[in-house]
Amino acid sequence: MSETELTTPQSPSPLTSDEVTPALACYGISKRFKSIQALDDVSISVPRGSIFGFLGPNGAGKSTLIRVFAGLIAADKGHFDILGSSSLKGHRVRNDMSALVDRADFYKNLSAYQNMKILGRITGHDSDEHINRLLDLLGLYERRKDKVKTFSQGMKQRLGLAQSLLPDPKLLVLDEPTTGLDPQGMHEIRDFILKIAAEQNVTIFLSSHLLHEVELICSDIALIFNGKLAAQGSMRDIFREIDNVTIELEVEDSKTTLAFLEKTDLVTQITPLANAISIEIHYNKIPELIRLMSAAKINIFSVSQRNRLENYFLSLMEGK
Amino acid sequence: MILLKLIQNELYKIFSLVRSYIGIILFTGIVPLILWGYGMGTSHIEGQIESSVSDMFFIEGSPTNGFTAAYFIMNFFWIHIPFLLALVGGDIFAGEHANGTFRVYATRPISRVSIFTSKVLATMIYTFIFVFYFGLLTLGLGLIWHGGGDMLVFHNGVLILESSDALVRFFIAYFFSFMNMVLVSSIAIFFSTMVRNAVGPVIGTMALIIFILMVSSLPLEVFKGIQPYLFATYFSNWEQAFFDPIPWGDLFRGLGLVASNIVMFLGIALIIFRRKDILS
Repeated sequence: MSETELTTPQSPSPLTSDEVTPALACYGISKRFKSIQALDDVSISVPRGSIFGFLGPNGAGKSTLIRVFAGLIAADKGHFDILGSSSLKGHRVRNDMSALVDRADFYKNLSAYQNMKILGRITGHDSDEHINRLLDLLGLYERRKDKVKTFSQGMKQRLGLAQSLLPDPKLLVLDEPTTGLDPQGMHEIRDFILKIAAEQNVTIFLSSHLLHEVELICSDIALIFNGKLAAQGSMRDIFREIDNVTIELEVEDSKTTLAFLEKTDLVTQITPLANAISIEIHYNKIPELIRLMSAAKINIFSVSQRNRLENYFLSLMEGK
Repeated sequence: MILLKLIQNELYKIFSLVRSYIGIILFTGIVPLILWGYGMGTSHIEGQIESSVSDMFFIEGSPTNGFTAAYFIMNFFWIHIPFLLALVGGDIFAGEHANGTFRVYATRPISRVSIFTSKVLATMIYTFIFVFYFGLLTLGLGLIWHGGGDMLVFHNGVLILESSDALVRFFIAYFFSFMNMVLVSSIAIFFSTMVRNAVGPVIGTMALIIFILMVSSLPLEVFKGIQPYLFATYFSNWEQAFFDPIPWGDLFRGLGLVASNIVMFLGIALIIFRRKDILS
């Protein structure tokens, strides 16, 4: 018998404190504006490296919380940490953070380059090379000498993103960055966010009321209603909690498919649409349904799950 | 270091606005016009001076020169300059609120106190440049145009100042005028921290100055007790620089009151600004 070398399973290398510390953590933040309780004891933890979606209907308190992080308003109670640095230290907490709050606004009589220079000078990130690289990254290099008042809303929003990247932040807070943009502009900004997250190794905290947008790009989310945190976690964990989902089936023969679906007990609701059939089904039953449809020789062109997050969002709202 | 960069930014922003040049352009146009007009009316002015002092002095040469012209112009503009300065001081905070740029600026890792200090210092630098330019234009151009010589001042009789003495008196007068204008800018900054449009602070500043000016100059017994404590009482104290002897006690008492008003207006403005929620 050959001698067997006993080895102990190799334990995974321990995480460094930097990896464990959340990019952003807030503890019991409350804020009241006269009779309105805008934030009520909100605590959130944003994992490093994530694109974190912060969701809520209009007036839920998203912008208020972001303004607290950005130092634009003071919380009545609670505090927050950014990459391990406490807000109790004052403005230095934002050394590694940058924020684009609400729409991007500029000194309109100055050029894109001059606007970048003014903000870059504050943190010592105003070298021509750095500014031009960021303008190039956001597709504005060719227009750098033009006055901002000649820019479209989409270009302004991109310039706002470029400005927010000036201090090489490790955490980028974006408050509804696609608001007011046309579909092409929204698409561009989404692409830029993904590009920034990948290329600049930045944690992104993205506030939005556009659920589809968040579903497309975020790995983690938190939901807020009436100033109170309703849920938070990874997108995967949250979707696991969802029982019934809505899916759209694009099939060759709608009539036969509808007859088939009416006979099966897997589906709870059927809605014929112009070019597809929308059904409500338990998340775990989807594979079985597709198998049965294939066995029944129904030609399926596409199965798309729509508005998972919206369903979850609405179910939470109904429960409130 | 960071404060210097912030001041650089603020000056850059101030001098990128057209409104910052309105006063400078206005003076560049009107001061030469007044100096020209002054030259055209010299014989009339000379006649008046000579008739009032002929029984005391024999005047050789012209009693009107660059010094008297500059003195004449200074008397004219000390109410107009506050308005022109308020255009810039009133915009320094409110203009950024109105544009939404303050939201962008304030998210950077800098304290509100630093932002406030940089804006105040930049406004004061602008005020200095404005008063300096006004002085340079009136006195410098006046001396080039109408020449130098002794200066005649009418105060409790006739005072004759040698040209070197007159020059020093002008520097003293410009210093006290500058301090008064710093107060005007401080009032404009105070109003600017309270509102979100630049028009309000300009109107507010001028309304306050005119109101205090009226109360401080009303010849009614009931107001006599408070007049020494009103800043507008000292707005024309620069004239005392041409008295003989110079009433330093009065000048510094006035300066003390003006300085305490500057501290008060800027102090309240800082408190407002530090506590302000930026919601737009």
